[in-house]
Amino acid sequence: MKTHKLFENNSHTWLMFGRDDEKPNEIIDTNQYMVVSKSNALLMDPGGIELFSAMLAAVIKQVPAEKITHLFASHQDPDIISSLGLWDQALPSATLHSPWIWEGFIRHFGMDNITYAPIEDEGGEIKIDNVLLEYIPAHYLHSSGNFNVYDREAKILMSGDIGAALEAPEAPLFVDDFEEHIPKMKMFHQRWMPSNEAKNDWVNRVRKLDIEMLCPQHGRIFKGDNIKHFLDWFEALEVGLTGKNLP
Amino acid sequence: MSEYISGEKNSQPQEYCQDIDYNYFVAAAVIAAKLDQATTIAQQLSLTASNARAVALRAGERAAGFRPLTDFIDRLAEITITASKKINLLAAKLSKTSAAKVRADNAIKHFNLVFTKAADSPFINSLDSAFEHCKINQDRLTRAYQRQIGQLSEELAMLSSELRNAVILATLSRVEASQAGAQYQDALINVADNVEGAAGKIKEHIKYSQQVVSTLQ
Ligand SMILES: [Fe+2]
Ligand SMILES: [Fe+2]
Repeated sequence: MKTHKLFENNSHTWLMFGRDDEKPNEIIDTNQYMVVSKSNALLMDPGGIELFSAMLAAVIKQVPAEKITHLFASHQDPDIISSLGLWDQALPSATLHSPWIWEGFIRHFGMDNITYAPIEDEGGEIKIDNVLLEYIPAHYLHSSGNFNVYDREAKILMSGDIGAALEAPEAPLFVDDFEEHIPKMKMFHQRWMPSNEAKNDWVNRVRKLDIEMLCPQHGRIFKGDNIKHFLDWFEALEVGLTGKNLP
Repeated sequence: MSEYISGEKNSQPQEYCQDIDYNYFVAAAVIAAKLDQATTIAQQLSLTASNARAVALRAGERAAGFRPLTDFIDRLAEITITASKKINLLAAKLSKTSAAKVRADNAIKHFNLVFTKAADSPFINSLDSAFEHCKINQDRLTRAYQRQIGQLSEELAMLSSELRNAVILATLSRVEASQAGAQYQDALINVADNVEGAAGKIKEHIKYSQQVVSTLQ
């Protein structure tokens, strides 16, 4: 598991964990993100159960366990949060922030100690020390209850499965040539995203945000102009195809 | 192993032996299933008892010696049903404990990996208290697991010894049947055969369960 620093100022740091070379082949490669502030840390989409020890080992190199006071799960998928039962043992006093609709489902991963903090449909915010992070609604992209995390100060949007690409674990960290990147994203977005309406609604919402890095849970990070390229491409993309058009 | 979980592929329990190596939380479920089958057979046995009672009544004075035997058959069925239910509960409890133990063992395994992988981390000690808790939890579950296995094998042994009475009961039934006159003899001998057969089958299930339990100890 590799660790990359995406942003740092005097109040907080953004870290990305991923490109795990010990990961079994059949498992989709995932990016995990962590915001570290003065005395707290928020671990976002901590990943699947198979990844747990690699993740905890990587995380514990950055911060002590008791500093990880918050977890965030953008939605209920196994690659997002099936490790919960083990985090529950490792961080018994942490709080998990996740869409309210998934509470009864996510608890199936095993949650005896951690507290569940449901996020309302319209989103909200979380303050860790002095760092304000916003939950941006991204429902039906792809999960019916789903949020991005936006950091106005760092200008980072953690976009979950939006912007995801299926590619080799050794792929570079950032999207370089956007056109070349499209084939790695197209099927994923067409197949997993069910609603054009939800997609366009999200694009409109996100266009209003000042973003320097758009960070998906799979694949590469978008920077600068590539963010606009992605939003234009995604807006024009027909998703939720069915029947013989099923990608 | 999994193809044997549902049971009745082969009526000779000895044949199962080499395949008895269940994952330990599957084992408890297997025992519960076996005892479920035992309960069904015991319920049939209780039906046999009431049929026998009816036949003995019709046979009148000549089957007078048979009537008290039907009470014994009934009692045997009842004891088996009660014990099977109790063992079933114990097995369910053991299954729960085992699953929790698997999770605790798993967590410890993951922690140990982290301790190796992040040995050089300045914060590695910050996991100590969570690890301690896991260890305590694991110890507690291990003790509960041992205790429940002990209870389970005790109950199985008790039921097994109760079932020894079935052979005596069947023998006595045959003796009494032979006195009941030609008209009722066959029906009552059939009762004796049923008792023996049912007890035999239940014993097989118990024996198999005992073998499963012994692999857990
Ligand atoms: Fe997902
Ligand atoms: Fe995903």
